Amino acid sequence: MTSIGTGYDLLNSIFSPDGRNFQVEYAVKAVENGGTSIGIRCKDGIVLAVEKIVASKLQKPNANKRIASVDSHVGAVYSGMIPDGRHFVDRARDEAQSWRQNFKTPIPTADLASRMGGYLQAYTMYGSVRPFGITAIVGGVDTSEETPVDGEVGSGPAVGAGGKVPGKHGGPFLYMIEPSGLYWGYYGAATGKGRQAAKAELEKLDLPAGNITIHEAVKEAARIIYIAHKDNKDKEFELEMTWISTVDGPTKGRHVEVPKELREEAERLARAEDESDDEEEEEKKDDDNKMED
Amino acid sequence: MFRNNYDNDSVTFSPQGRIFQIEYAGEAVKQGSVVVGIASKTHVGLFAVKRNAEELSSYQKKLFEIDEHTAIAIAGLTSDARVLSNFMKQQCLGHRLTYGRPMPIHTLVGQIGEKAQINTQVYGKRPYGVGLLVAGVDENGPHLFEFQPSGMTEEMVAFAIGARSQMARTYLERNIESFADCSKEELVKHGLRALKESLVQDKELTVENTSVGLVGLKEGPNGRPSVEPFKLYDGFETKEWIESVSESQGGEGEGEGEGEGETAAAGDGDGMEVDS
Amino acid sequence: MDHRPQAWGRPRDDVYGAYDHSYMQENGPKQNTQQPIVTGTSVIGIKFKDGVVIAADNLASYGSLARFTDVKRLRPFADSSILGFSGDISDMQYLDRHLTELSLSEAYESPDKPRLNAANLHRYLSKLLYNRRSKFDPLWNHLLVGGLDDNGEPFLAAADLLGSTYSAPSLATGFGAMLAQPIMRRYVPDEESAKKLTREEAVDIVKEAMKVLFYRDARSLDTYSLAVVTKDGVELKEDEKLENQSWAFADRIKGYGTQTV
Repeated sequence: MTSIGTGYDLLNSIFSPDGRNFQVEYAVKAVENGGTSIGIRCKDGIVLAVEKIVASKLQKPNANKRIASVDSHVGAVYSGMIPDGRHFVDRARDEAQSWRQNFKTPIPTADLASRMGGYLQAYTMYGSVRPFGITAIVGGVDTSEETPVDGEVGSGPAVGAGGKVPGKHGGPFLYMIEPSGLYWGYYGAATGKGRQAAKAELEKLDLPAGNITIHEAVKEAARIIYIAHKDNKDKEFELEMTWISTVDGPTKGRHVEVPKELREEAERLARAEDESDDEEEEEKKDDDNKMED
Repeated sequence: MFRNNYDNDSVTFSPQGRIFQIEYAGEAVKQGSVVVGIASKTHVGLFAVKRNAEELSSYQKKLFEIDEHTAIAIAGLTSDARVLSNFMKQQCLGHRLTYGRPMPIHTLVGQIGEKAQINTQVYGKRPYGVGLLVAGVDENGPHLFEFQPSGMTEEMVAFAIGARSQMARTYLERNIESFADCSKEELVKHGLRALKESLVQDKELTVENTSVGLVGLKEGPNGRPSVEPFKLYDGFETKEWIESVSESQGGEGEGEGEGEGETAAAGDGDGMEVDS
Repeated sequence: MDHRPQAWGRPRDDVYGAYDHSYMQENGPKQNTQQPIVTGTSVIGIKFKDGVVIAADNLASYGSLARFTDVKRLRPFADSSILGFSGDISDMQYLDRHLTELSLSEAYESPDKPRLNAANLHRYLSKLLYNRRSKFDPLWNHLLVGGLDDNGEPFLAAADLLGSTYSAPSLATGFGAMLAQPIMRRYVPDEESAKKLTREEAVDIVKEAMKVLFYRDARSLDTYSLAVVTKDGVELKEDEKLENQSWAFADRIKGYGTQTV
């Protein structure tokens, strides 16, 4: 059952006799070494967070952003090979843009996830390419309001064809897309090195019940990243967090960075819990200067 | 012939999820002579040690102006660097033409990052064998980016790439707190000292082999910052700077007070050759 | 009755005569837009010491028919610039979508603050318009761009369907170039006088000019949009009404209103 030495793992897009594509499995390994990314879906929005490992002290603090906007209402974060992640984001932006051109309305998160799932899948199909070395978490809030189509400048005819099907529209959505192109919708998603610990914490939140707000989710996300970082404790990290609320919330349906004060407060709580957890453990000498911005 | 089965091309993952061809391309950067970049609040400096193929040949350029407001320092395959540099020049020119403004540095670096990533994901291509330090200024101030063959780009306060660059990086890390408030002159001294750290035992900075490049912001009309265009200093223009950091004079001359002492500890030469 | 499928949905030859295929020439020269269809009239703008005021009425005409009376022809960009469109409305809508795209991709690069200022935007649009006219497929608009330039000074410039650009302390497109421009120019003949103008004065001048345009331009409306751009952003009001109208002057004009002699 081993992959190595059989030759079936030397080329993308070929099956082994037992029906596996080893190159895709190896791509997943690249993801599993990356800093932890998580996403939380609550009733009133989405929170995305990532543990950015600081590889060198010479990096400019807080300058190298890892969570990207795909459209004004969609954000994406990824673990694994960062240049691959940038490629993913570029493509996602192109998809969102072409959706706007075709339909004159922002792309629903579900459709974006579907398009990107298809894109990643295509990179498992050919010997001439390799799969993406990332798992991406895509979160968005599709608007629930009656919105004008892009470029509409008057109200148009009051009667006639058009109009929306009555019922519930929009809301927060969260998807995680793997190197194989497989994607699922999530209430809480985690990937990267600390995903096991992060998933365990996410499960405790009982997110499907829908009783935490994005403000609480920001604190939970910070806490979870700090817990996930325990798998990677010898390295320093920065916490980056973004959020998208529904239109009546603090971000008005837009994907933006969590305000500094809020993030710092969440980090303070996370650190406090962290310290009380390892009280018996010896004091980490550099714990203090670790996250000073 | 190959070290293992997984390093033949850039579209094959190893069982550990690594792509050896990208890592090998990273090694090509380490074959190039060292370049250093440092950013202060107002300026970015690029510093390089140039090599000559033989005694009578000229020295290979290491710093290239891309546009008025941005420049690169290269380490690795010069011809790959030229491809990227031409691309960057075109993008900057195009941006000036269509928007009437200098290209934001982050955007520019993003574009070469994208370009380089494609080469790591498609069969028949190879990663670029060159690393860059991209220096520039825009509305958000001075920036210094590192670019790697993998397509990875990161904004740095200061950085060094190329042969024995770890020594220079160690110097930069020791002095990182002082860079933000450096004057142009102080920036140059730090840059040259960092370069010296990476030189092999009996090699010296000379007017022939040293390049300095500076770009920054100056006070413009009505108090708004305006671009102080990139200027490359070569040959005798670098003489005074080189002398000011020579061992005999140490750091005491201009009294900027940081980084003293360590400069003397230059190159404990492990014998790695720095010429091509 | 002709039951052949080729004839379905076509005017009957026996009633209307044979279809004149010369209207649908396949081998003639290719034609692009020859004229605007649904149009917006003048846009006017004036600089003052801290920024720019721009106004345009809310009418979209279909020939001489006042077809849509709630069309917003001023469009803010990144809360730092304002665009006024006259000319073809569907081309305006196309440009509007195009600018949404541009502002999104601009926001990816720097989410915190807008970086494309009005001068950059004007340069970009003029290239776009020139590019289209050079394909003999122009976007049939005349634009005013207002905001601040690289140095934070008030910026006001025009770009037209030919890709021509020009700038002045006050600008007007369409009928406004004849009727409103002279009025505004009385107040701001040069940059110096624009630097002295206050915001209130500038708004008053624009409102006055809009009134004159409504009096004399038969394709105009008394409901209009007015925007003020300063370093603090764009303030856009889209449902202004012309106040204190006086049609007394109309009495003395022959051929006006209900007069018969």
